[in-house]
Amino acid sequence: MTQLDVLAPVPGRVVALAEVPDPVFAQELVGPGLAVDPDRTGVAVAVAPVAGRMVKLHPHAFVIQTADGAGVLTHLGIDTVQLAGEGFELHVAEGDDVSAGAPVVTWNPAAVEAGGRSPVIPVIALDAAPDSVVARQAEGPVAAGGVLFTWSR
Amino acid sequence: MDKAEQILAALGGADNIVEIEPCATRLRTEVHDSSLVDEKALKAAGAFGVISAGTVVQVVVGPEADTIATDIEDLM
Repeated sequence: MTQLDVLAPVPGRVVALAEVPDPVFAQELVGPGLAVDPDRTGVAVAVAPVAGRMVKLHPHAFVIQTADGAGVLTHLGIDTVQLAGEGFELHVAEGDDVSAGAPVVTWNPAAVEAGGRSPVIPVIALDAAPDSVVARQAEGPVAAGGVLFTWSR
Repeated sequence: MDKAEQILAALGGADNIVEIEPCATRLRTEVHDSSLVDEKALKAAGAFGVISAGTVVQVVVGPEADTIATDIEDLM
């Protein structure tokens, strides 16, 4: 069994997925994990929570697959697909290899919130068993690149 | 039937679809008649879950949503 540290993509406050205002994430339909309620400090850079290949890249969400096949989804805000990429600047391309902590997307959580959407960021261990995610970070403040949770797989 | 065909059939077929749009984790679908949507069949096709509100049906399929949506559009 390996332990995969999954990092916080942005600075903010750690919250349980159950608090995310979207049933797909709150009910862990795509997998367990944690969410970060981002600091509202203007333009911010979301970083890669793990090292691996960028297998899916939308302006508002991305999936990184590690060398041994673990997929981690980072979703910047809720219902942000409706923004059609406006306000999101990508720094990598689909298929790129990224290191943990590398800049992926520049965005503005406060602007997302001002538009009436939650900027909360679910970070999901895709296809993971519910009990395989260990919450390392208690609910509270987290720095970008700090360990958010550990995935035993 | 492949996954896209199964999902399309479970949503009541192409004639029942008003709009289908992929998100990072799900297909956001608007249908004409929600009574034609078969949740059991959607789950059998591989959906992790189905969230319905009126004629808006969200089929949770994970990050392959964009690929599946393209496949469904090709069938319509």
